[in-house]
Amino acid sequence: MSSRKKVLLKVIILGDSGVGKTSLMNQFVNKKFSNQYKATIGADFLTKEVIVDDRIVTMQIWDTAGQERFQSLGVAFYRGADCCVLVFDVTAPNTFKSLESWRDEFLIQASPRDPDNFPFVILGNKVDLDNRAVSAKRAQQWCQSKNDIPYFETSAKEAVNVELAFQTIARNALAQETEAELYNEFPDQIKLNANDNSRNRDGDNCAC
Amino acid sequence: MAAQNKADNGSEDMPVASSTDPSAEQKERLIAAVKKEVKQLMEEAVTRKFVHEDSGGVTALCGAVEACLGQGLRRRALGLFKTSSTTALLHKIAKHCPEAALVSARVLAAEGAPATRSASGVERRPSAPRPPLCKRGSGSLLAQAPPQSRYLWIRIALFERQLAKIIEHLVTNANRYYERDALVADPDYGSILSSLLVGPCALEYSKAKAPTCFWTDPPADELVQRHRMSAGTTTPPSVRRPILNFKRSLNASSDDASSSNTGTGKPVGSTAKDYVESLHQNSTAALLYGKNNVRVQPKDVEEPMPGYLSLHHTAAGLVIKWTPNQLMNGYAENEGIDKSLLRCHLVHASACQHTCILCSTAPTCTVYRRRCAGPLCIDCIYWAMSLQVCVWEVVYVHVHRSQASDALILVGQDGVQRPPIHFPKGGHLLSFLSNLETGLLPHGQLDPPLWSQRGNGKVFGRGKSRRRPMPSLCESGESEEAEWEESAGDYVFRIVNNAIGDKEAMRHSLLERAVASPPRTPRRPLASTSTTSSDSSTMSVDCPPSAGLNGNPPITPVPHLPLEQAASIELVCSTMRRQIISRAFYGWLAYCRHLSTVRTHLSGLVHPNIVPREGTENGLTEALWRSMTDEHGAVNEKDEVYRQVYYQGVQHEIRHEVWPYLLGYYDFGSTTEERAEQDAECRRQYETTMSEWLCVEAIVRQRDREATAASIARLSEASGKLKPVEIIEACEVFEDDCSVISDNPPVVSPEPSENEQKRTDKPVLSRAPSIDEIDNIEMDSEEQEKEVKVNGETEDTHIKSVVKNPDLRRESIAEIKRLAEGIVQKGDGRGLLCSVDSANVNLNESDLRSSIDEPQQNSQQQHTSVIITNPSVDLAASGSPASGGTTATVSPSRSPLGVVREESQSAGASFDTLEPTNEVRPDARSNCVSPASSNGGVYSNELVESFALNLHRIEKDVQRCDRNYPFFTDENLDKLRNIMCTYVWEHLDTGYMQGMCDLVAPLLVMMREEAIAHALFARLMDRAKDNFPSGQAMDAHFADMRSLIQILDCELYELMHAHGDYTHFYFCYRWFLLDFKRELLYQDVFSAWELIWAARYVASEHMVLFIALALLETYRDVILANTMDFTDIIKFFNEMAERHDASAVLSLARDLVLQVQTLIENK
Repeated sequence: MSSRKKVLLKVIILGDSGVGKTSLMNQFVNKKFSNQYKATIGADFLTKEVIVDDRIVTMQIWDTAGQERFQSLGVAFYRGADCCVLVFDVTAPNTFKSLESWRDEFLIQASPRDPDNFPFVILGNKVDLDNRAVSAKRAQQWCQSKNDIPYFETSAKEAVNVELAFQTIARNALAQETEAELYNEFPDQIKLNANDNSRNRDGDNCAC
Repeated sequence: MAAQNKADNGSEDMPVASSTDPSAEQKERLIAAVKKEVKQLMEEAVTRKFVHEDSGGVTALCGAVEACLGQGLRRRALGLFKTSSTTALLHKIAKHCPEAALVSARVLAAEGAPATRSASGVERRPSAPRPPLCKRGSGSLLAQAPPQSRYLWIRIALFERQLAKIIEHLVTNANRYYERDALVADPDYGSILSSLLVGPCALEYSKAKAPTCFWTDPPADELVQRHRMSAGTTTPPSVRRPILNFKRSLNASSDDASSSNTGTGKPVGSTAKDYVESLHQNSTAALLYGKNNVRVQPKDVEEPMPGYLSLHHTAAGLVIKWTPNQLMNGYAENEGIDKSLLRCHLVHASACQHTCILCSTAPTCTVYRRRCAGPLCIDCIYWAMSLQVCVWEVVYVHVHRSQASDALILVGQDGVQRPPIHFPKGGHLLSFLSNLETGLLPHGQLDPPLWSQRGNGKVFGRGKSRRRPMPSLCESGESEEAEWEESAGDYVFRIVNNAIGDKEAMRHSLLERAVASPPRTPRRPLASTSTTSSDSSTMSVDCPPSAGLNGNPPITPVPHLPLEQAASIELVCSTMRRQIISRAFYGWLAYCRHLSTVRTHLSGLVHPNIVPREGTENGLTEALWRSMTDEHGAVNEKDEVYRQVYYQGVQHEIRHEVWPYLLGYYDFGSTTEERAEQDAECRRQYETTMSEWLCVEAIVRQRDREATAASIARLSEASGKLKPVEIIEACEVFEDDCSVISDNPPVVSPEPSENEQKRTDKPVLSRAPSIDEIDNIEMDSEEQEKEVKVNGETEDTHIKSVVKNPDLRRESIAEIKRLAEGIVQKGDGRGLLCSVDSANVNLNESDLRSSIDEPQQNSQQQHTSVIITNPSVDLAASGSPASGGTTATVSPSRSPLGVVREESQSAGASFDTLEPTNEVRPDARSNCVSPASSNGGVYSNELVESFALNLHRIEKDVQRCDRNYPFFTDENLDKLRNIMCTYVWEHLDTGYMQGMCDLVAPLLVMMREEAIAHALFARLMDRAKDNFPSGQAMDAHFADMRSLIQILDCELYELMHAHGDYTHFYFCYRWFLLDFKRELLYQDVFSAWELIWAARYVASEHMVLFIALALLETYRDVILANTMDFTDIIKFFNEMAERHDASAVLSLARDLVLQVQTLIENK
């Protein structure tokens, strides 16, 4: 039954303004690229159903405003995320540099259960452009240093690697989700642990 | 459709008026039903490209077909007794019709599987389509066939695309299976039926998607379309409803909500089929409890009648239904209640007119109408008797337990009590209550809780339960309560809705007091003195048990003795009196509360005085505007202007003239000359500011080039050599320069001290890889210098007319001081550049001091300082003569410039000599040579950096701003960029925030001229800047929206409240941030903005709120019908952007303002 249950995966796309978050999302969901996108204000999302390991899952992809000042707004949207996609522009080194802060900010705001293993995916977008300024190696290295985050070089314009990247995103998010389900299926276990903890604490108190 | 079913089935058992006319009418109706369903299904297929197998449309179509096939079927002749469905027919014709044989086989196969699951599955399934007619064993209702198996064979035939052929077969062989006047046997209708089904048989049916996603994912467009299709009669937005829509008197609205949303409407106004289906477990309502032979005494009937009681959980909440057995079974006679039936007949005349709404309002139901004409209208009466109570309307549940039976009375919030429901003994009541309690969770609960009460008697002791021992037992006091619990007793449970907890709390206290004070007083005095409605309603329901006071089972006030009857009539009268009082009181109380909410939350939102609308039909037309303008070009009637604009907007041709007034840039009453002067001043100011930041921009550009060159170089190097690059990659890089330190270990985020270290190290250590490159950079910067100069020159032409600008000088002096101090304090900076800076500044400082000491004498010297500090050399040159009071022309005034350049250059040069490395030198020189750079030297590094950051953001967003709108050519985008940069330069502390571009764009489109658009934008931002993340206005807006919705559309509010996240109202974020710029098309944005600006002076300073509310109200039905949650609604409105009917929305917004104004005025 649980395998047939409909799964909703919440995916958040973050990154500096103008790196192509909206374009990536639309390329993945609608299979089209437009150069008419405006700067995202507030937040928007699209859903798409994908098949991951024979399971139909619905991806709810949230596109957010890129200016870091609007991050306070994002908090409401970060909650309950199953995966976070960090995007930078390979032609703009600054957008790469700020990945770190986007990641930290997300972990603070979304406060996932297991921050160390929360699935992130890094996308270096706009590889179709000539004036590349961040080498793949450099990005790769950074990703490796951060607990081996998967890294993809994408082009929303030419649909390079977009599908692949989002497949990975879905898969990782699903793994996260199943883990959460497992937790939920054994509430007693958690309870017991909680009791143990409290008992331990009581013991400590007594010792004091 | 089931109604028709019912009818034809009934035709077997009842004497039917044998006129052929009604039967023709009936056929017409059946065919119409099929037509409608086919149409719906085809529409669905068109909008969605496929039809889901579990779609409601499929089920409905199958039902309609079933009804047609069932009509006039020769059941007896075919041996199909008592089988209500036509499945048997299918199996019968399978011998002759290959298509039917195929479907028949599939049906058997499909039935085989579920049959193992529930033993009676096969038997029950055929009966499923017509639940009211078939006999049901007790309890069988609880296990409902899943919707898929309803109309199973028709469904399968449809998916197999055989249905049309099978029907065709039936039609051609109709005489074998059907009565002569049956629909299928009819030469016309029969063929119509089979041909109607050809279309649906050709559709694609899919099972791929899960039913839930099928229903939750439709795009906004489709939702709106569906709504238009389905709702021929649109529910008027609640705005049009009476204002006092407070929660507690929601009966009407919640009724229609339940019937339209969940399909569990009352038999009234919806088809009988819907009603019967609503008794089952279905997709919209979960069956929580069902019990047969629960007795209820409907009005006009003297004895309680057995019926089927069910508790449903619908989207709107819990619904309790009771249906007389007669309706459930389809046969009236065999229950031995002929007596009551006879009585029914007696009251028939009135019942048919008043309560049997099915007959009078549902035109589809000819059967009933026909029957009603006759002397017996049994079904009608039963329909009228059936009971449907929405639990959210119920405030109290009274329980009267006695030896004989358990009675339950529901008391509505309006104080009306429903007929008592008598449960058979044996824990049924308890199980019903516990089901009810469970069903109420999580938002509601029974008070006191059912189980804690049972568990321990302490609850009683606390007086929390308003348990009321029977009067005769009052004396027994509290101590004996436990005893009563088992055998008999009265309990009152309150249904608490958490959403209205505060109100409850208040009522609670009232109740406590009322209950506590007169425990022993006889009832009637108590009632007459009772002041609280809750008390009186509680009192009112104590009546029935009082009938059972003498040991009679409290089933009903059935009179055994005339004396008692008189007493009970008296009681009933007093009950009514109390009810009337309680209703009045409730109304008043709720009204008072409501108004106090209104006053606290809304009075600040609108102006108290209502400005009349008269004479604004055409709005501010050009003719009107001209007539308002006097001979000096002054417009004085500002109130009239505002009023006209508010109600009808401005004619497009004169918008560019009116907008400056609306935004407060021009003053009303100013003459043409004054305005021209103001414009000139504005332009001058604008040019000045612009020239300032243009210079900084030049620096930024140069740095960018360096940075890009460096990173490109690094990249190309990376492809060549490996080792150094790796190190470089690993380290942190600073924001806006190319400084990468090669000797640092890979650090994640360096300490500040390290920062400093790096910065000082930087020029020496990491300076660029190759000389060639730097040459390039230098060349670039020189080119740029030329560009800037050209710019400056063109500006000169503008500025020549300019008189003087003291502000400018003061500013620049202040600037120097600040910078000098900053630099001195920090004592460091950007290495070389900063040392040059300080050299320059020191030099300036001395000038400055002297100029401050002797301002008059040192005008010449001051020139130099101005020249240095002023970003644009050319501008300063042209401006300074005037400021110095001299008549020097432009060209001589350039001479000091030259001097300064030399000075700064020499300073730079001298510094150069101190520098150990050669590589840096070109850089330094370029700084000195270029006017931009030399001036840039005076700007602090932070200033440049922060401007650079803003500049990059602005450029990114300007490029993306409305590029689909033809106005924004490159040239106009440049203007947009300039306005943006100028504004940000003036407000560097707040800086650029995304969304500002969107606000400038319409202004620029309208005004065309940069400077004026900038001035208007600055005024616009005075209000709008608080909406941005740095301000507080957004939260205030959300809170206000909340209050407004709560008061003006409580139904919507309930929905939002149910989804906690709604309280954030984030779907309004963009609306408020951009004043609906992204929601509407340009033409409509103009109107909306005018409205917002004018409303400030006419009706409300928060017009945005009302526009937002109007948008929400426009789609309230869609939102409600789909019970959208937080995410759904965000998606919906994002998809609906630029597709709204703006004029309707705006006028609704005005109506809403008026509504709130009236509400407040009425206090």
